[in-house]
Amino acid sequence: MEIMAKVAFCVYTIVILGGSILAVSSSSLVRALVGLIATLVGVSGMYMLLATPFLAFMQILIYVGAVSVLIFFAVMLTRAESGGDEAKSAPMRTYVYGLAATLAPAAILGWLILTKPVASVAIPVEVTIKELGAGLLGSYFLPFELISVILMVAMAGAVLLTWEKRGKK
Amino acid sequence: MSALTLYQVVALMLLCAGLFGLTQRRSLVGMLISVELMLNGAGLSIVAAAQLTDYNAMLGQLGTLFIMGLAAAEATLVLAIIVVVAKRFGSAQTSDITTLKE
Repeated sequence: MEIMAKVAFCVYTIVILGGSILAVSSSSLVRALVGLIATLVGVSGMYMLLATPFLAFMQILIYVGAVSVLIFFAVMLTRAESGGDEAKSAPMRTYVYGLAATLAPAAILGWLILTKPVASVAIPVEVTIKELGAGLLGSYFLPFELISVILMVAMAGAVLLTWEKRGKK
Repeated sequence: MSALTLYQVVALMLLCAGLFGLTQRRSLVGMLISVELMLNGAGLSIVAAAQLTDYNAMLGQLGTLFIMGLAAAEATLVLAIIVVVAKRFGSAQTSDITTLKE
């Protein structure tokens, strides 16, 4: 069983790595989106391995189901053909600066992770959905309400931003 | 190397990919994709830290659920902003949206 978990971890890591590389480096935005979806599915597999099946389901439902469709709409509504936005490559200076901006926090965080490991348990405990719901309606009621307000405001704001007054050309 | 460290390394990988993409991409949609990568790394890191240590596991899962909700709200707003920018400037490239410089 433990071997299976290790194999699954390696498979999901490869999916996440390949997907994120595709999402970052592809010159076509549609392919980048496919890479993002592969990454999201890989992360949901990681959630499964961490004994949180509810989060894995939510990951598929919210990210793969909703957010990637939204991004696909954004791709459709802008110029995203192969000769479009990402066709010509960036100057070399941008690559160097970008790599530096990536490596600086990565080095600090990686050093912290690898040299100061936290005492951890091997087998995660599963939290039932019932406990999660009790937490949402109990101690963490205020953030739960706030996130619904935020979603509502974001939706109304999105509608308002793209609103076109009737009769204005 | 403990399991927690491995999960954190994967999350760090996602953060790096997102940061690199955010600096490289020349269109707003590509930057949105990179931001989603980073948010996913954050969620994975939080869940791993909550599940694999002695701390409150429920709190970590709720935090990740909130992150997912915020990511959905953020994606909605960014989509609206991209549509407005594409309508006004004729493209969604960051190099074209430079009227503040002039």
